[in-house]
Amino acid sequence: MKQPIVIAKNLTKSYTKGLRALDNVSLTVNQGKVLVVMGPSGSGKSTLIRTFNGLETFDRGELNVLGIKIDSTHDERQIQRIRRRVGMVFQQFNLFPHLSILENITLAPINVQKRRQIDAEEYAMYLLNQMGIDSHANKYPSQLSGGEQQRVAIARALALKPELLLFDEPTSALDPERINEVLDAIRRLAEQGMTMVVVTHEVGFAKDVSDQVLFMDSGKVIEKSTPDIFFSNARHERSRKFLNQLDKHS
Amino acid sequence: MLNFTLIKIFFKKLRKTLFSNSFNTIISLLLIVITYLFCLNTFKWLIYNANWEVITSNLPLYAFGSFPADERWRPAAWLISLLVLSLVTLFGPKWKWLHKNLLIAWASTIPLGLYLLYGGIGLSPIMSRHWGGLTLTILLTVCSSILSLPLGIILALCRQSSIPLIQKLSSIYIDVMRAIPLIAVLFFGQLLIPLFLPVGIEIDRVWRAIFAFTLFVSAYIAEDIRGGLQSIPNTQIEAANSLGLNQYQIIQLILIPQALRIALPALTNQSIGLFQNTSLMAILGLVELLGVGRSILANPEFIGEYIEVYVWLACVYWSVCTIMAVLARYLEKRMTINQANF
Repeated sequence: MKQPIVIAKNLTKSYTKGLRALDNVSLTVNQGKVLVVMGPSGSGKSTLIRTFNGLETFDRGELNVLGIKIDSTHDERQIQRIRRRVGMVFQQFNLFPHLSILENITLAPINVQKRRQIDAEEYAMYLLNQMGIDSHANKYPSQLSGGEQQRVAIARALALKPELLLFDEPTSALDPERINEVLDAIRRLAEQGMTMVVVTHEVGFAKDVSDQVLFMDSGKVIEKSTPDIFFSNARHERSRKFLNQLDKHS
Repeated sequence: MLNFTLIKIFFKKLRKTLFSNSFNTIISLLLIVITYLFCLNTFKWLIYNANWEVITSNLPLYAFGSFPADERWRPAAWLISLLVLSLVTLFGPKWKWLHKNLLIAWASTIPLGLYLLYGGIGLSPIMSRHWGGLTLTILLTVCSSILSLPLGIILALCRQSSIPLIQKLSSIYIDVMRAIPLIAVLFFGQLLIPLFLPVGIEIDRVWRAIFAFTLFVSAYIAEDIRGGLQSIPNTQIEAANSLGLNQYQIIQLILIPQALRIALPALTNQSIGLFQNTSLMAILGLVELLGVGRSILANPEFIGEYIEVYVWLACVYWSVCTIMAVLARYLEKRMTINQANF
C-alpha cells in the first residue's frame, strides 16, 4: 500500500490571546491526489499548508510529510529535509527580483541539490517550456506580467523535482484575465499525477481538479468531502453559506 | 529666419518672467548688476591677478607628493590606469566579455596600486612616508572603502542577529563610532594604536589612517546596509526557505545582493564623503592633497598665495568627486535596469 504523502494529526496552533489559528486539524493526503483547502480569510488555511514545509510552527499535534516526522519542537534538520522534497507557490509569487528568470529557477538546484549548472539550466528551460514562457528566460521578474511571474514561480518550485506541491492562493493576486493561464498550468500538473495541496477561492478550478475539499473556519476543519458533494450538496450550514457568498461575487 | 524667431521667443519669455512689473524689474536689475560685478571680479582675479605659478611649477608635487622624481611614473601609471578604467567603464564599447571582466579589473587596481607604490619585485622599494598628493588621497579612499564594505556588511548582519550578545556588541560599536567625531578616531589611529601594539610590531602611518577610516566608515555603512536589509520583504526569506536554502545561502544569495542594491546611493555618498574626509589627514601630518597644498604654502617662495592653491585644490577635489559620482550613477543604472518595481 502506498504511503500517504501528508498525515496531520490534531495540529493545534494558538496565538497569545487564546485565538486558535489551527484547532485540532487532522488530514491525510495520498500520493497523486489533490486536496483543495477553502475557507473565509483568517480561517487558518494558509497557516495549515505553511506548517507542511515548516514555514509555520504549531503547538500541539504531529505532522508526517513524506515519511519525515515533525512535531512542536520544530527540528530544523527534519524541516530542511522536507523542504528539499516539497515545492511551494505563494500568493505574491515571491520571485527574487535581483535574479533573472533562469537564475531564479536554477538557484535551488545548484545550491541545495548541488547539481551542475548546465544540467540545472537545461531542466529549467524544459520547465519554462512546459509553462509556455521559455522566451522570457533571460528577463527579470519585474519585466513579466503577474500570470507569467506566477508560472515562473511554479517552474521554480518544480525545479527541485518535488514530491508534493503546496499552493497558497496562487491566483489571488492576479488580474482576472491572467488567472486561467496559471490555473491551466496547475491543472496540467494534476493530470501528470503530482500530489498537491491548493488553497484557493476558484470554485470551478476546485471542482475539476480536486479529489477532496477541506473547508475550514476559525482554525477548525468544518467539512471534508469529495468535490461532487461539497459543491452541490455541502453537508454543513457554514460551508453552504460560504459557497453562496462566493457565488454572489463571481 | 528660424534663429530670429527663436531669439524673439527667448526675449518674450525673459520679459514675462523677469520684467513683468516694476518691482520685478528692479529686483532683476539689481541681481544682474550683482552677478555682473561678481563675475567681473572673479574673472579679473582668475586671469590677471592670480599667480598660477604656484600651481604649474608644483604639479608633480600635487600629484605624487615627495615620491622620488625618477620613480614618479609608478604612481602616474596607477592614476592613469584608474582614469582609463573609468573612461572604459563609462564610454567603452559594450562588449559582453569586457563588461564581465570590468569588476575584476577594478578589483585588481588595488593590488596594482600597492605594488607600484611599495615597489618590491622588480621595482625599488619606497617607504610610505614618501607617498603623497592626489595619489595618497586616492589610495586612502580606495583602500578604506574596500575594507569598510565587508566590515559594514558583517556589522549590519550582526546587528540583525538573533543572538543577543552579538546583536548588542555590534549595536554598541555602531553607536559609539557614530558618536565620536572622525578627527578623534583619526587621532586615535595615529597616536594611540602604536601605544597599544606590542613592542616590535609597527604599522606604518598610512595603514593606521586607513584602519581608522575603515573603523569609522564601516559603522555608517552598516547602518546603510541595515536599511537595505530591512526593506527586503520577509516573503523573500520565506521563498528562499521553502526552496531549502540554508541560512548562510539566504544571506549570501538573497539578502546581501538586494541590500547592497538598495543601499547603493547611500554607499556612494559614504565613499564621496570619505574621499573628502581624507583631507583631515593633513592635520595629522600625512602629505595628501591638502597636505601638499599646505606644505607648498609654507614655502617662502609662494608665501601668501592661499587663494590660488585652495581654488586649485577645490577644482581637483571637485573633478575626482564628479568622476566618482558619475561612475556610481552608471553602476546604479546598470544594477536597476531590469527592476522597475522592487
